[in-house]
Amino acid sequence: MLQSTKLSSYVRTANQVISNNLKTAAPNAIIPKKLVTAPPCELLLNESLRHHQPIGKIVLKSGPAFSTQVRMAHTDIRVPDFSYYRRTEVMDPNKKSSDSREARQNLTYLISGAGVLGGVYSAKAVVTQFLSSMSASADVLALAKIEIKLADIPEGKSVTFKWRGKPLFIRHRTAEEIDAEKNVAVSSLRDPQHDHERVQRPEFLVVIGVCTHLGCVPIANSGDFGGYYCPCHGSHYDASGRIRKGPAPLNLEVPTYEYVDDLLIVG
Amino acid sequence: MSLATTINNLLFKRTSTFLLTVAACTFFFERTFDGSTEYLFEKLNEGKLWKHIKQNYEK
Repeated sequence: MLQSTKLSSYVRTANQVISNNLKTAAPNAIIPKKLVTAPPCELLLNESLRHHQPIGKIVLKSGPAFSTQVRMAHTDIRVPDFSYYRRTEVMDPNKKSSDSREARQNLTYLISGAGVLGGVYSAKAVVTQFLSSMSASADVLALAKIEIKLADIPEGKSVTFKWRGKPLFIRHRTAEEIDAEKNVAVSSLRDPQHDHERVQRPEFLVVIGVCTHLGCVPIANSGDFGGYYCPCHGSHYDASGRIRKGPAPLNLEVPTYEYVDDLLIVG
Repeated sequence: MSLATTINNLLFKRTSTFLLTVAACTFFFERTFDGSTEYLFEKLNEGKLWKHIKQNYEK
């Protein structure tokens, strides 16, 4: 074995030979001493179990004076940095966020409001479309109208037509009847309606001939009040179709109608 | 108080006022949108609609 002192002259020369621009070699890596541990034994018998059990007296202290907590989360978990997700207005933790609310919220709320607006508009359109599909179309409504020549109805007469499956009474009233109905005190009526609310032209009364009590057809020009009389349960209507006596709760119904010159169009 | 703050406090801060604002705006939006699209449709179909040629067929 050579001694290091004898080698030193050779080593130096060797070092001088390679001392150019190249870096000197890194020192040798220190290889740690290999730690020899007992191989993990299988827990099979008392003997092997005993090595894994604590030795000596086990004392467990607890109570307010002793902290049994070994590891506290806040001590070693770092708070994540959310500044990438934050808006510039709320970057500073010492600023009140309510001070910058309008700057942050207005555009967002404006956009979402516009979205809701569109939704409401479309929902309304859909609902309207759906509902209007259930109502009668214009051609059906046109067929469901009835045209009546008023000149054919003599004064003092009540004529019955069939309109949408129901009897329609048209009464050409005399001047006395008109006067009498106009002067009836509205407060004395069960279903208070003045005569002018029920007729467009005072000479003609247009009502649906269905008793409001149980749906019988009243008889014209009869009853105590000179109008209509329901034979089923004895309801008396006057010459304006208003209930005056008997069980019916309401006046005879007035349909929507209009006059075109001398023509009456009901429906 | 700037305009943005006023708008935020009056309209957007509460859900109730926000929805009320939306409902009110929808009303005006519907009126203008429906009216303008209808006008545009009639402008593009000038002379084709019944109401434009009605006088040729009805006395």
